[in-house]
Amino acid sequence: MTGYVLKRIGISFLTLLLVAAIAFALMNAIPGSPFYTEKSTPEMIARAEAKYGLDKPLPVQFYNYIKGYFSGDMGVSLKMQEGTPVADIIFNQGKFELSLKIGIAALMVAVCLGIPLGVLAAYNRGKWIDSFLRVFTTIGVAVPSFVMATLMLIVFAVNLQWLPVRSEQLETFSSCVMPVLAVAFYPMCYIAKLTRTSMLDAIGQDYIRTARAKGLKTGKILFKHALRNSLIPVITYVGPLTAGIITGSFVVETTFSIPGLGKYFVSSIMNRDYPIIMGTTVVLAALIIVMNLFVDIAYKIVDPRINLAKAED
Amino acid sequence: MKKALAMMLAMIMVFSMVACAKTEPEETASDEASKAPVVVTDDAEVGLEEEEEVSIQTSGEGGGFTIAPLYFYTNKYCLKEGIDNLGYTSLGYFFFFNATGKEELNLCIASEPETIDPGLVASVDGSTYSQHQFEGLMKYVSTNTAVGDDPSLLNYQIAPGMAESYTSKTNEDGTITYTFTLRDALWSDGQPVTAADFEYAWKRIVNPETASDYGYILDGIVVNAAEIQAGEKTPDELGVVAVDEKTLDITILTECPYFIELCAFSSLMPLRQDVVEANGTAWTDPANIVVNGPYKATEWVHDSVIVMEKNANYYDVEALGPEKINWYLSDSETAILQSYKAGDFDFIETFPADEINPLKESGDCFVVPYVGTYYIYLNCENIPDWRARAAITLVIDREHLVTNVTQAGEVPATGMVAAGIQDSTKADFAAKNSEGGVPSMYKWLQENCADPLGLDLNNYEDCCELATILLEQAVADGFDVSKTLYYCYNTSDSHQVIAEAVQSDVANVLGMNMELTNQDWNVYTNGLAEGTFGVARLGWIADYNDPVTYLELFTNGNSYNYGLWVSDEYTDLIASAKALGGGAERDAILYEAEIVLFSGTMA
Repeated sequence: MTGYVLKRIGISFLTLLLVAAIAFALMNAIPGSPFYTEKSTPEMIARAEAKYGLDKPLPVQFYNYIKGYFSGDMGVSLKMQEGTPVADIIFNQGKFELSLKIGIAALMVAVCLGIPLGVLAAYNRGKWIDSFLRVFTTIGVAVPSFVMATLMLIVFAVNLQWLPVRSEQLETFSSCVMPVLAVAFYPMCYIAKLTRTSMLDAIGQDYIRTARAKGLKTGKILFKHALRNSLIPVITYVGPLTAGIITGSFVVETTFSIPGLGKYFVSSIMNRDYPIIMGTTVVLAALIIVMNLFVDIAYKIVDPRINLAKAED
Repeated sequence: MKKALAMMLAMIMVFSMVACAKTEPEETASDEASKAPVVVTDDAEVGLEEEEEVSIQTSGEGGGFTIAPLYFYTNKYCLKEGIDNLGYTSLGYFFFFNATGKEELNLCIASEPETIDPGLVASVDGSTYSQHQFEGLMKYVSTNTAVGDDPSLLNYQIAPGMAESYTSKTNEDGTITYTFTLRDALWSDGQPVTAADFEYAWKRIVNPETASDYGYILDGIVVNAAEIQAGEKTPDELGVVAVDEKTLDITILTECPYFIELCAFSSLMPLRQDVVEANGTAWTDPANIVVNGPYKATEWVHDSVIVMEKNANYYDVEALGPEKINWYLSDSETAILQSYKAGDFDFIETFPADEINPLKESGDCFVVPYVGTYYIYLNCENIPDWRARAAITLVIDREHLVTNVTQAGEVPATGMVAAGIQDSTKADFAAKNSEGGVPSMYKWLQENCADPLGLDLNNYEDCCELATILLEQAVADGFDVSKTLYYCYNTSDSHQVIAEAVQSDVANVLGMNMELTNQDWNVYTNGLAEGTFGVARLGWIADYNDPVTYLELFTNGNSYNYGLWVSDEYTDLIASAKALGGGAERDAILYEAEIVLFSGTMA
């Protein structure tokens, strides 16, 4: 297990380097410059590019990025916060923290509500509660998060005035409720659907029948025996979802005026703010890699029959 | 039953045939009329005397119409009741430092600014923050007259700021030296404001290494500014010299009517060299920033809020309004509006366009002039015949565009120079050049083409008629009307609906095929520079109040002449106007230049 983890960490660095190289190549392949404005002239653009070293050959620029990352320097923003170090924007301005806060809270809500709802639906298969949950989760999967966010904003903040319009720093519980629910709603419903399907599959297995025959209680059968085996697809989904939730909350962050990282991840591309594109991509890639590693380890915990080292071979 | 139905169908068929037969002669007549040269019959005299034939004969050579202005911008805002004495200039800046009614103002005018460094700001919101934290040689003060319908918003105009007074004298070489005497004023850290602070800031902005978007602002005005920008001279050679602590000499090349106004421009604020150089880009952080204006940033939560409080060392601190101004930063129009409705914001500038009318009805929203023109480039290489370009310009129904499409109180454009820009007599340039009848962009057409045909270009139907005639003449001379024109715009819902309206007008009236292509901003501007478009949009907001800011965009070789129009006559006119300091002669040249921009050639 330890050897496997160490090997994965080594591969992770190579993966990160590859991601950085691809991101760098792609962002330079698209036309444009961070310095294009309605009033910019070719001379002005050339001067600004020279100021930030964008006039150097691409391999030199890439080398500078990578060299910088090893010393903790992610470069400075060229446009969105001109001159501000990217590391400050991501980590010191609390953006990553805010996005992570929403992401983790949403993930917990999605998992903690999604799995029980799936189990409930599977246990009551064919009954009204199953039908209701099927409709509910289908709606949840179909409605985009920005619709959910706007709907909640209008109903709970503007009309009923139960919750604040601007969530900003997410300092109070009431300011977290809507953004977290807006982000969590889709994955919660998706997890519920996944759990229901795999639970139904597990419930029909021989070992469950055996457990019932032995006289075990329903709750124990469901949560100790059936659920554990049903979790593999859920875990597979939850890993990449964690990273996805952080960038996916862009729309929700905008709707609730939360100064998170989502905006920078998306807007940096539109603004051609190269160091921010590189910085957010690398940070996000690292997050996905770490989450995937956790998922693989979680497989082993959930199902001890899985041999990670062997699977790797 | 079947018989009755058959009879009815037969009757319908007979009626249709009769109806078709009746229209035939008319169609033939209109086909004839459309052939060049155009012949128009004066209906009133038919049957009385001989038919009077009027025709126009144009030539596709030369000609202007490289742009088609669509509308003049307006600014819209929502303001809560009980707040008064807000300031405004038609350049788009709102001023809150004399506001009354609340000790703590909560505003939202934009999202996170790219920077609040006066030397680097390029946006209106960034400039607004600059104007509240810094004060230039000149500043904006209230005229105590309301801008529009809202008595709370007052017109602001130029007055001495850090400069107590100034004099000017003409030098032997023809240059003019302005000598500014500074008032006794302090920076927020208690140090005196000196002429050296101005000298440093002005040299910093023209220094190519600063790479300021407004590095060009002094080009052709202050001695050596253009050469420094081009890298031919060093910033130390700029014609700005601190003679002593309180005296600043600025030498300009020739009389410039808007130079004094420029002295209040947000990029030309004084800066403290020690503060800027000690902190690098972080000098604008509230912990480091040192200001000489009425307010000072005390907190900046990025993407959330900039908090400004009164600068206790400001010389006129007693006259200031709110103790604290909270500038909230958001880019969601919906969220901004909901926050305003919930009472979190007192003033907002951005909100969804479809909410404007309900907000106006509720008394929250007001529309004020904003010096800017939204226009489209007509690429002279892809639409080589000016008559085709003029035809496109003529068929755009601007009234419909602003009333039903943009719906934010915009004003249909009459020419390229935006409403609000003044000539040397302080008369509105756009209004004066459209005096006595048609908009300035149609003056030449009215006189040379419409008048002989008895058409009035104030009338949209007549515009369409003339457009059809001009296009037919262009086609007769070889213009390929079947070629698809690509209308490019940067991705945005508002640009898209405008493009669709233009596309519809051009297709319905002229039968020309226009295909819409939207691109992200960077790709789009790249295409503009490379001229890979038929039609492309742009908006131009004035930096200073002078017609030249608009008219010089279309001179030969100008970076913004994306339509690739070449006119020596026009370029010479602009050059001769720029050589004059002001006055009636310069006004006359500029009025003429705008007409030349929208003129054609007769055979």
